[in-house]
Amino acid sequence: MSGIVIGNTLRTSWKQILYWGLGLGALGLYIDFIASSPDIIAGYADLMSAMPPAMLQGAFGASSLELLTTSEGWIVTVFVSEAAIFLSVFAVLAGLNITANDEQSGVMDIILSLPISRASYMLGRWLGYALIGFGIVLVCALITTGGMMGMNIDAPPDVIFMSILNLYPGALLTMTVTCLLATVFRRRALAIGAAAAFVVLSYIFNVIGASASGAVADVMEALSYFTYVNGEGFALGTYDPANTAIVLIAALIGFGLSLKMFVSRDIGV
Amino acid sequence: MASESVLEIKGLSKTYGGGKNRILALNRLNLAVNRGEIFGYLGPNGAGKTTTIRLLLDLIRPSSGSARIFGLDARDDSVEIHRRVGFLPGELSLWDGRSGTQIINFVANVRGDAKGIAKHAGELAARLQLDTSKRVRDLSSGNKRKLGLVIAMMHGPELLILDEPTNGLDPLVQQTFHEMMNEYRDKGKTVFLSSHVLSEVQAICDRVGILRDGELKAVETIEGLTQVEFHHIEIEFRDALPEGLARQLASMPAISRLSVNGSRVSMRLVGDFDPLLRVIGGGYVQIMRVDEPSLEDIFLAFYSGDEEQSA
Repeated sequence: MSGIVIGNTLRTSWKQILYWGLGLGALGLYIDFIASSPDIIAGYADLMSAMPPAMLQGAFGASSLELLTTSEGWIVTVFVSEAAIFLSVFAVLAGLNITANDEQSGVMDIILSLPISRASYMLGRWLGYALIGFGIVLVCALITTGGMMGMNIDAPPDVIFMSILNLYPGALLTMTVTCLLATVFRRRALAIGAAAAFVVLSYIFNVIGASASGAVADVMEALSYFTYVNGEGFALGTYDPANTAIVLIAALIGFGLSLKMFVSRDIGV
Repeated sequence: MASESVLEIKGLSKTYGGGKNRILALNRLNLAVNRGEIFGYLGPNGAGKTTTIRLLLDLIRPSSGSARIFGLDARDDSVEIHRRVGFLPGELSLWDGRSGTQIINFVANVRGDAKGIAKHAGELAARLQLDTSKRVRDLSSGNKRKLGLVIAMMHGPELLILDEPTNGLDPLVQQTFHEMMNEYRDKGKTVFLSSHVLSEVQAICDRVGILRDGELKAVETIEGLTQVEFHHIEIEFRDALPEGLARQLASMPAISRLSVNGSRVSMRLVGDFDPLLRVIGGGYVQIMRVDEPSLEDIFLAFYSGDEEQSA
């Protein structure tokens, strides 16, 4: 039964793959363009050499100045960190679309009067939007990598492609956390606020954690999901699949909690 | 009419909120609806009609008690029940950006036998004069309601649960709706509809439950409801009102709403006529009019407080 819901979600929302994918792809091409010019990168390198680590991390999502001054590094740090923020916006909106929007508008009354269990419905919606999210990241990765190759940028396409694809677990987690928050709070505005706080705090924790040292900074860095999905690891050869697994498992746990809440509570009250 | 119960509610209660904000929306409701009947669920806003319906559909969970539909538990077996039930909510919301056809196709897919259901939906839409190619946002409130009816009925459910079904429908469509409900009953199917439109309930329902402040006050046949014991009486005397008659009438416990206007007197009488006839025996009665209480009167009697009810 979830298959029908997945199909319906894709049928009604597949255009988001185009809109978001092309939008992020356009951003990728812009970054490609900058990365294709050694002069521009050199200019940025001069500017960045005077920056403290926190600012470097906050503005460019990079911890290595050396990496940032290469075309490859520019794409996997600057583009990936910017795309992660834009993708968070999609993820929050998608998280609301799973059940919250239909519940608040009253459509959920019709849906749940059909012969479909709440769990099947929520699973179908979640999987549908998870596929749409993956489609967006894939389109974005293809455009950016293709653009890079078209501009003859000296960077390994597989590294670029994988570092962009690695945005997906974070987006999935953000979508799931938003879904969970919406299930708990039952009010769209409250869920948006809480999800935005989740994304912003994660980003700040990542910036502070990566640029400062000490136990507190380490904890902050560990608590941020950006820590686990940044693109630097692919370029530096330090990518750890366990990090991706942690984020995906966190997303699955979040979805399980959402499901439990949604199945057991009153709808539309 | 068969006496097999399609719907059985036992001790069903629902409270919202907690502490000082606790609201008792439904209080120990007991009710049975038989197969093949149209049951009207009457009550003003806030009486608990929609709460009952949402409990039946497992949209909300009871604080206590249970409901069974087709002998199945409304909560544990909700998916199987929903397969055999059609539902129209009181405040119908649909996807604004989708056309009627798209929504019908989605619902038909979820229900299975999409082709057959969609075909029946087309017939229903034609009968209700609904253009399903339009987007929901372009439909009037009445046409949205028609689409809701099509969605509720298109799979030919054994039980229709309709919350204020004719809200926003024009009189001609209301007439069509009444015909459709009667045909439903003739096929041995059951309709549970909430309404505050008494004429509608009077026109199509077999039995009526009257709900007030979350409590079921009465379950009656339409005939039974209109045979309650009070009557409206208007008497016009040829001459002046007999001396002391107004005082005597006012002192009679069976009489209420007494009004004297010259030689004309009107009242509401509970019970037998004989005590009244004995009191007016001395006067020459020119006209005496006795009106049966309308369903409206009965409805008001149920809602205007204990004092009025006993009057």
